[in-house]
Amino acid sequence: MTIPHTVRVGVLVVAATSFYTYVGQMVPQKEVLPPQETQIRADLTTADMVKVGREIMDGKGLCFTCHTIGKTGALRFPDLEGVDTRAQSRVPGLTDIEYFAQSIYEPEKFIVPGFNPGMPVINKPPIGLNDQEILCVIAYLQTLGGKPTVTLQTSHAYYKAPGAPGGPPASGVTAEQGAAPGGAPPAPPGSAPLPAPGKPPAPVTPPGAPGTPPASPAAAPAPVAPAKGTR
Amino acid sequence: MNGVLKRRLLFVVGPFTGLVMFASVVMIATYLTNREYKEPYRAPAAIVDTTPRVEGLAAETAAAEATAKATPYAEAEYRTFPIVGSRVAIWAVAQLHLLFAAFVLAVPLFAFIIEVIGYKTKDSRYDRLAYEFTKLLSTSFSLTATFGAFLTFMLIALYPKFTNYLMSVFSPTFLPYVLLFFLEAFFLYTYYYGWGKFHPLVHIGLGLGLNLVGTAIMFIANAWLTFMMSPRGISDQGAVLSVWDAVWNHTWMPINVHRVIANIAFGGSVAAAYAAFKFLQAETDEERAHYDWMGYIGNFVAISAFLPLPFAGYWLAKEIYAYSQTLGLTMMGGAFSWLFIIQAVLIGNLFLAANYYLWLGMGRVEGMQPLQKFIKFLLIGIAVCFAVWATPRSIIATVSELRAMGGSTHPILGYLGVMSAKNTAVNILILTTFMSFLLYRRTGKVATVSWAKTGHAAQLTIFAAAAIIVVFLGIYGYFVEATVRIGLSVPQVSSVLAAMVSITAIDVFLFRGASRTGEVRWGKIPAISQYVLIFIAVTFTWLMGLMGYVRSGLRQHWHVYGVIRDTSVDAFTPTLGFATRVVSVTVLLFFLLIGFVFWITTLHDRPDFEQTKTRRREGSGEVSPEFAVGTAGEHRRTS
Repeated sequence: MTIPHTVRVGVLVVAATSFYTYVGQMVPQKEVLPPQETQIRADLTTADMVKVGREIMDGKGLCFTCHTIGKTGALRFPDLEGVDTRAQSRVPGLTDIEYFAQSIYEPEKFIVPGFNPGMPVINKPPIGLNDQEILCVIAYLQTLGGKPTVTLQTSHAYYKAPGAPGGPPASGVTAEQGAAPGGAPPAPPGSAPLPAPGKPPAPVTPPGAPGTPPASPAAAPAPVAPAKGTR
Repeated sequence: MNGVLKRRLLFVVGPFTGLVMFASVVMIATYLTNREYKEPYRAPAAIVDTTPRVEGLAAETAAAEATAKATPYAEAEYRTFPIVGSRVAIWAVAQLHLLFAAFVLAVPLFAFIIEVIGYKTKDSRYDRLAYEFTKLLSTSFSLTATFGAFLTFMLIALYPKFTNYLMSVFSPTFLPYVLLFFLEAFFLYTYYYGWGKFHPLVHIGLGLGLNLVGTAIMFIANAWLTFMMSPRGISDQGAVLSVWDAVWNHTWMPINVHRVIANIAFGGSVAAAYAAFKFLQAETDEERAHYDWMGYIGNFVAISAFLPLPFAGYWLAKEIYAYSQTLGLTMMGGAFSWLFIIQAVLIGNLFLAANYYLWLGMGRVEGMQPLQKFIKFLLIGIAVCFAVWATPRSIIATVSELRAMGGSTHPILGYLGVMSAKNTAVNILILTTFMSFLLYRRTGKVATVSWAKTGHAAQLTIFAAAAIIVVFLGIYGYFVEATVRIGLSVPQVSSVLAAMVSITAIDVFLFRGASRTGEVRWGKIPAISQYVLIFIAVTFTWLMGLMGYVRSGLRQHWHVYGVIRDTSVDAFTPTLGFATRVVSVTVLLFFLLIGFVFWITTLHDRPDFEQTKTRRREGSGEVSPEFAVGTAGEHRRTS
C-alpha cells in the first residue's frame, strides 16, 4: 500500500515539530517570577540588613546576573569576593559606603580597570531599588571582605536619612519601589532627590552618626576616575 | 374428572383475577391523576397585601439599578481570555500574523528579482517561476490582514491599558500605516492580476512598488515592537517627548535589517516547500523538472539569506547590550541562555539539511564525481561545528556527577560552552555551507579562462586564510580579558564575510564561458530531497517562532521595558518547555493554514468543472493544466 504524499508530508511536519518540542523539554526548566517587593521595617538591625541585602541581590536587584562571588578567570564583570577591602581604597576620598553608593547610583562614574562599562543605574527602572533597599545591599557588600556598619539611618552622597541634616523629617515608614506609570508606587517618603546628572552632591554622612563609618579624610569631591576600568 | 375440576377452578380464579385487574386499573388511574399538573391555589391579586419582604426586595432592585446607572467609567487594565489565558492567546495570534506577514513580504522580494532576471535574460522560464511564486501571495495576504485585525482587537480587548499607552505614543504613525496598507493591496493585486497584461517594465515597476511599500509597512510595525524592548523618546514617567526618537529606538534598525533577511530566508523555504509538495504530486517528467527547479531556487534564496543572518543577529544582540547590559545578560546568561542551545539544534539541523539537499542535488549533474570526494570533509566539519555550538556551558547532571566534575561546568567540554568556541563554530559552519554552494555551483563545469589555476589557488587561499583567522581568534579569546574577547567576534565575522564576497567574485569571472561536462537534469533527484525541503521549511518556521519568543520574552515582567510594568497574572516568564509547546502549536497551525493556501493555489490551476467533464467524456489523458497550453490559470507574459 502506498501512503499518499499528503499524509507523509503531514507526518513529517508533526514529527519535526514534536522533535523540537522534545528538545525544549530537555533543557532546564525555570519559571522566572517578577521580583517580590521587599518590605523593610524601620527597626532593622545591621545584621538583618545584611540578610535582606543578600536576598535583594539574589532577586530583585539581579546583581548575580553579572557579578560572581569567588570566581576567577576571564570574567565579564568584577567578582565581588573581598570587594569591601578594595572599596575602602578604590577611589581616593570615598569610604566603602560612599564607593558602593556611587557604584549603584552612578555606575558609569568609575569603571574598574579591565572591564567595560555596563552596570545599569540601580535605583531606576527596570531594577529600581529604593534607597533603603540599596542600604541593605551595601550592608551585604560590606560583609564581603569587611564588617558591616551601615544602618537605615546611614546617609551618603545620594541619600539623606530621615532626621539627618538636610534630610527629610524622620518617619518610621519605609518604602516600596518607585517608578513607572505601569502601576508601581511612587518614590518613597524619605528618599532624597537625586543629584543633577554629572553633578554629584558632596557626601553628607553625619560624622559620628550611629552605625556610620568614620568621616572620610577627604570630604572634597572624588577625583575624576579613569575612563576605563572596573568596579 | 379433570375437566370438571378445571371448570371449578376457572369459576374461582376468574372473578378473583377480575377483581385484581380492576384494583390495578384504579390504582394506576389514581397514580396518574395525582401526577397531573394542577395550578396551585392563589388568592386573587386584588386581595394580596404587600408584605415587608416584597417591599424590601423591590427597594433592593431599585437601589441596584440606581447604583448601576451611577457607576462611573473605569478603564480595565486587563481582561482574561478563556482556557489558555490572555498571554498565550495573544502570543499565538501574533506569531501567526508575523509568519504570514513574513511570507507576504518575502515572496514579492524574490519574485521581483526572478522577474527582473527573466526580463534581462529573455528566458520565459524565470517569468513563469516568478508568477508561480506570486500565486501564493493572494490568499496569504488575506490571512495576514485577518490575523493582523485579530491581533489588534485582541490587544484592545485583553490589554486595554497597555494598548492605550502604545497608541498614545505611536498615534502619528497609524495614518501612514493604513495608507501604506491600501497601497500594498493596490500593488499586490495589480502585480498579480496584471501579470502579462502590461509592458514588462510597467509590471516590474509594480513589483518594485509592492516591495517598497511592504518594507515600509514592516518598518513602521517594527517601531512599535522594538519600542517595547528598548524605549526611547519618552520621559522617565513614560510621557512622549519625541515620536521620531520612539520610532528610531536602539533596536529598530537592527530588527529591520534582521527581519528583511530572515523574511527572505523564511519565504524562500516555504516557497521551496510548496515546490517540493508539487514535485511529489507531479505525474510527468516535465512537472517534476519544473518543480525541482522551483524548489532549488526557493532553497537557494533561503540559504543565501540564511548565511548572513547570524551577522544581523550579532548586530541586534550588540544593540541590545548597548541599550541595557541587564537585558543583554538576561538574554545570553540569564533566563534565556538555554534557549540558545535549542536554537543551536535548530540551526545545526538547518545547515545539515541544506547541505544534504545540495549534495543530493549534485546527482542531477553529470560529471560531479570529482567533487564528491570533498563532501565527507564538509560533513565532518559541519558535524563538529554543530556539536561545539550545541555544547552548553553548564551541564545538567546528578549531584554525584556534579561532584565528579567539580561543578556544573565540565572540565573539558566546559571550554566549548563559551562564546569564543561558539562564535568560531558558527563562522566555520557558515564557511563550510558556503563551500557546499560553491561546489554545487561549479558541478558539471570546467573553467576555461587562462588564469583558471591561479583563480582556484586564490580561492583556496582566501578560504584557508578566513578559516585560520576564525580559529586563531577563537583560541586567542580564551587568553584575553573580557573587553578584548567581546571585540574579537568583529574580525571573525568580517573575515568570513570578506571571504564569501571575494570567493564569489572570483568564481563569477572564473566560470565565465566555462565548458560543460554535463547538463543539469532537472527532476532527476531522489524524492527524499523534497522531504528535506519541507523539513527545512518547518525548521525555519519553528526557529522564527522561538526567536520571536526570546525577543518578546526578554522584557520579562515589563510591557515596555523599564516603563510600563506587567502587573497581570501572566507577568512571569514561563519555562522553555512551555514556550516550545506554544511555538509548536503555532507552527502546526501555520502549516495547516499554509496547506490551505497551497490547496487554493492548486485550485487556481485546475481546469474548470465543465472542461473536466468534457475531457472525461472524450476520454482524453490526464494532463496537468498548468503545463497545457491555453488552459485556465495561464497568465504567462506573451512578449
